[in-house]
Amino acid sequence: MTQTPIIKPVLQMVDISKRFDATQALEGVSLTLYPGEVHALIGENGAGKSTLIKIMTGVHRPDTGEILLDGKPAQVRNSQEAQTLGIAAIYQEPMVYPDLNVAENIFISHADRGPVVRWGKMYEDAREILAKLDVHLDVKMPARGLTLAAQQAVEIAKAISLKVRVLIMDEPTASLSQHEVAQLFKLVRSLCREGVAVLFIGHRLEEVFSIGDRITVLRDGKWISTRTRAEVTRDAVIRDMVGRDVKDFFAKGKGARGELLATVRGLGKTGVFSDVSFDIYRGEVLGFAGLIGSHRTDVALALFGIEPADAGEITFEGKTVKIQSPEDALKLGVAYASEDRRQLGLIMPMSIVSNISLPMLKQYLNPIGLIRSRQEVATAEKFRQRLNIRTPSVHSDVARLSGGNQQKVMLSKWLNAEPKLLILDEPTRGIDVGAKAEVHHMISDLANQGIAVIMISSDLPEVLGMSDRVLVMREGRQMAVLDRADASEESVMAAAMGHAELAQTAEQKAAL
Amino acid sequence: MNKLISRFRPEQIRLLFLLALMAIMIGFFSIQIPGYFDARFVNRISTSVAVVAVLAVGQTLVFLTRNFDLSVGSVVGLTAYIVGQQLWRHPEIPPLAAVALAIGVGAICGSINGLLIAYGRVPSIITTIATLAIYRSFLVEYSGAVPITTNLLPDWLVDLSRLSVFTVGQIQFRVLFLIMIFVVLLFQFVLSLLPFGRRLYAIGSNPDAARIAGFPAQRMVFSAFLFSGMLAGLGGFMFLGRYGNVTVLAGTGLEFASVAAVVVGGVSNMGGSGTVIGAFLGALFLDLLENSLFRWQVVSEFWRDAILGMLILAAVALDNVVFGRLKNLWARAGLQMRSEDEQKPEVAADVR
Amino acid sequence: MSANQAAMPAAGESFLSVAWRRLKSWEGLLLVMLLLILVINSTLAPGYLTINNQINLFILSIEKIMIALVMTFLIINGEIDLSAPSIMGLAACVSAFLFSRGTNFATALVIALCVGLACGIFNGFWIARVGLNSLVVTLATQISYRGLARVFVEDKSIGKFPEWFNRLGQQDLIGPFPFALLLFFFLFAVALVILQYSGFGRQVYVIGNSKDVARFSGVKVPRVKFMLYVASGLMAALAGLLLAARFGAVRGDLAAGYELDIITMVLLGGVSIFGGSGTLYGVFLSIMIILNVRNGMGLAGLSGHFQTGVIGVLLIFSVLGPNMINRARAGVSRRRMQAELRKRAT
Repeated sequence: MTQTPIIKPVLQMVDISKRFDATQALEGVSLTLYPGEVHALIGENGAGKSTLIKIMTGVHRPDTGEILLDGKPAQVRNSQEAQTLGIAAIYQEPMVYPDLNVAENIFISHADRGPVVRWGKMYEDAREILAKLDVHLDVKMPARGLTLAAQQAVEIAKAISLKVRVLIMDEPTASLSQHEVAQLFKLVRSLCREGVAVLFIGHRLEEVFSIGDRITVLRDGKWISTRTRAEVTRDAVIRDMVGRDVKDFFAKGKGARGELLATVRGLGKTGVFSDVSFDIYRGEVLGFAGLIGSHRTDVALALFGIEPADAGEITFEGKTVKIQSPEDALKLGVAYASEDRRQLGLIMPMSIVSNISLPMLKQYLNPIGLIRSRQEVATAEKFRQRLNIRTPSVHSDVARLSGGNQQKVMLSKWLNAEPKLLILDEPTRGIDVGAKAEVHHMISDLANQGIAVIMISSDLPEVLGMSDRVLVMREGRQMAVLDRADASEESVMAAAMGHAELAQTAEQKAAL
Repeated sequence: MNKLISRFRPEQIRLLFLLALMAIMIGFFSIQIPGYFDARFVNRISTSVAVVAVLAVGQTLVFLTRNFDLSVGSVVGLTAYIVGQQLWRHPEIPPLAAVALAIGVGAICGSINGLLIAYGRVPSIITTIATLAIYRSFLVEYSGAVPITTNLLPDWLVDLSRLSVFTVGQIQFRVLFLIMIFVVLLFQFVLSLLPFGRRLYAIGSNPDAARIAGFPAQRMVFSAFLFSGMLAGLGGFMFLGRYGNVTVLAGTGLEFASVAAVVVGGVSNMGGSGTVIGAFLGALFLDLLENSLFRWQVVSEFWRDAILGMLILAAVALDNVVFGRLKNLWARAGLQMRSEDEQKPEVAADVR
Repeated sequence: MSANQAAMPAAGESFLSVAWRRLKSWEGLLLVMLLLILVINSTLAPGYLTINNQINLFILSIEKIMIALVMTFLIINGEIDLSAPSIMGLAACVSAFLFSRGTNFATALVIALCVGLACGIFNGFWIARVGLNSLVVTLATQISYRGLARVFVEDKSIGKFPEWFNRLGQQDLIGPFPFALLLFFFLFAVALVILQYSGFGRQVYVIGNSKDVARFSGVKVPRVKFMLYVASGLMAALAGLLLAARFGAVRGDLAAGYELDIITMVLLGGVSIFGGSGTLYGVFLSIMIILNVRNGMGLAGLSGHFQTGVIGVLLIFSVLGPNMINRARAGVSRRRMQAELRKRAT
């Protein structure tokens, strides 16, 4: 683009394609990395970012296309080879060895430190590298106790010690606090000064704009655009990411707010979150906004009894209740659909039918405990039609469905529990645009039917479009509850980032 | 409290705890049994702990990679028999060649385990339960149920268990004990100072990270089983030297003893932590207990296995419940102290 | 994957399509294996393939089979119980010990069953409530329970049970059917109904696939696990008593080493060692295979120890086989895809 031609690219991905079974993960994607630049890569989940990284690091091999290192074709067949070529990656969950200490974590991958480990020299070298990065850590401390941010610092130190030329950072800020992100960016800049090319995968536009020298957008496995920081605008990037204008969706009609369903006062869990208070009415969508690390999900887990709260009071339909387990929650009519569909939401190798009936299995049992399969299937068929789940049969394994249809199965599973309060955690993460609109539609319908919905979402436009009120959290504390009229990107972000004056006025409003 | 925590790491506290228990045990039995802790007793323990401790070293390597080796008992029996048989037929075989033969037979057994587990991806518990039976049945078929007895063996081997290299006072340092000490120190060196050893810890500590870092995990797991097999082979030789009699049942149950030793010695079954010294102390603890109970008239000797099992369970429960918490406490205390010591803002200070 | 697809019977499918799908899967392979072994054995010993001989096989191994049925639940649930054979031994030893000390025999039996129950509860407590690894816990209790059995009988052999008890083991007939066979079909039917058709069975599969999804769906994971271990303990005690009746005498090492056959029966039957999939149909086939393999080798004059070695090989094969098949399949589909892409590119 506008790079000075004297600088030669260090790594080029040319016309890369990769297919997994039914899905074309990448189609003809090209990407160029120059030394000393931060190249930001963005796209919705499923856009092909992770596949591209895995090809660069030798985890997958491309079906077609080639990788050029210093202009020459290079074979990256496994991660060991990637490492010798100077390509390293840091993931969202840092890959440290919890039982080894900081210094050893930095040097464990080195093959050239002699036949015998010289502990003294290793501590010295580790201290030196950390000092260069301006990171203060005890090199003899086992990695087990480090914060995520500190673990990432260790990984960056490791990358430096390995003399990497290309460092891939896969959503490294996802679980960091604001302060930690700033620290991390400082580290990234110092890496660039040493001539390292950084590929930064992010999902928060603000961060991407602040760190990226160039920004590339992928969508549905295809390359869409690459712009320099100077050329880039927020709207253009979003348009590239989603493929159409943003304003097309995120619209919930202002429904009539029903009677009070539940009040939460001073809810807290030691060391996680504290003093969360709100009311929720039938037929209302209450958005939970906040950056990742704000512990919104932990509040939801407390309400659903997975990680019960240890302080505060919940009143449900006028009665004070204790929610100690998911069974308690389900009995009251509280349901929670997790953001992690694969790990926490659905049993992938089992059928749609058995997934949908699972939380309410008791209802499908005859007096001696056998499953009434006809009823079970009827329920699944009902939801298949109602939510338009596209599948050849309700007996298909969930694993075979697309992300959007899986999300619908998960919603069916929880709607079948006939909840009075439905908590949706990132309900549209990782599903395509069409399915997203359908999910939004569905949430509106549910609210209109009188269900109270708590929607946790990191997608700010979604929160603003869908919520009647927005509760904003930051690092385990409730910052504000904003009415729809007062909620704007600015006010929510200000509260989420902890700008005091705005938060205060919001709190006053919330008290009303 | 914080000072104390920072001086000792949880693993060290655990070993100190084990040593303290041993001291208490010796104290208790000294009161109960007249003339309990004398030179003869020490000599007896030092011989009887040798075989199990060598096996425990191999088991430690395997445990570090989050695996089990339940076949060691059969490998001990098999090698003891084969070496005994060869020495019976060819008494001229020099001692070192006999040791090499034992280690070689063990290496074959260990590499079969390793191939199936590392490259065939068969879980280690399944593989070694199966090879436990396979090696044993091979032994039975091979031997035709003819036992090896002391009178068939060359004299040097029969005398081996009582042969001492040097004595301090009345305490003898016997060959078998010194072989064991050599093995323990060798593998303590390998695990703490060689890249191979450190990477073994890394693989057990975080297998995903090790895979991404491109460590040859399969080869290393294979090596762990190979070493375990070789050490079991050496153990087989020592077994032969110690008892002189080998039936088809020789070594039965040693797999449990070695697992018990490493678990009691603080080697985690979740991989990544534990030392060879710890495993040795675990073996010593169990041997001391067994020999003491044997001399203590109050409980019958048949309680041995029941107590062994409960000790394994107690050690695991203690590790998971108490020491797991201690580790976290230690990590947190370390962080807080550092942030108090240094007024500088630092990345690690943000304990969430 | 084929094991997973066959994991649950999907209501509404025709019987034939289910049957065909099964035949293409691991169960199909087992069926072929079984037929092969039957043919080989028949040539070894004329008159081998008689109903009577097959029934006899069941009678001689009914105790292992009983445990294998419960073990199927445990392994599908993602756990294992290595201590079951020791519980068998312990229960039998306790009853014999009490009887030899003059306790009323019926009381001794009840106490033995209670001991089995207690052993199961003890396992279940550490695994389901405290959350320790089931392999380590049951390995430890395997040693302990066996040790306790030795505490009761020491190195003696205790016999002299009441006549009716001995007869129970000597293939006593109930009507025209041997008792052991009836017991097997009863237990198999109950296990089948519970595992494939009940809410509890569904929960067993769900937990085996993902403990976390189960927990997040309101399934009481610890309770299900706990119940399985209690069932395993109780069943083991029952099996141990039955074995004592059949042998007519009890020693400390009663049923020692049975875990090999039991685990092989389950895993060879297509139950995944990682939990979440497998069926009792497969386990039934693998039980038939193991019984006939052992019997055939016996006919060929091979010793019990040799047979045990072969079972060990079968156990390894039962995990290695599917691994290899899956890897080969993945390789084929990858190559096919690359070929297709290359074709498209040119």
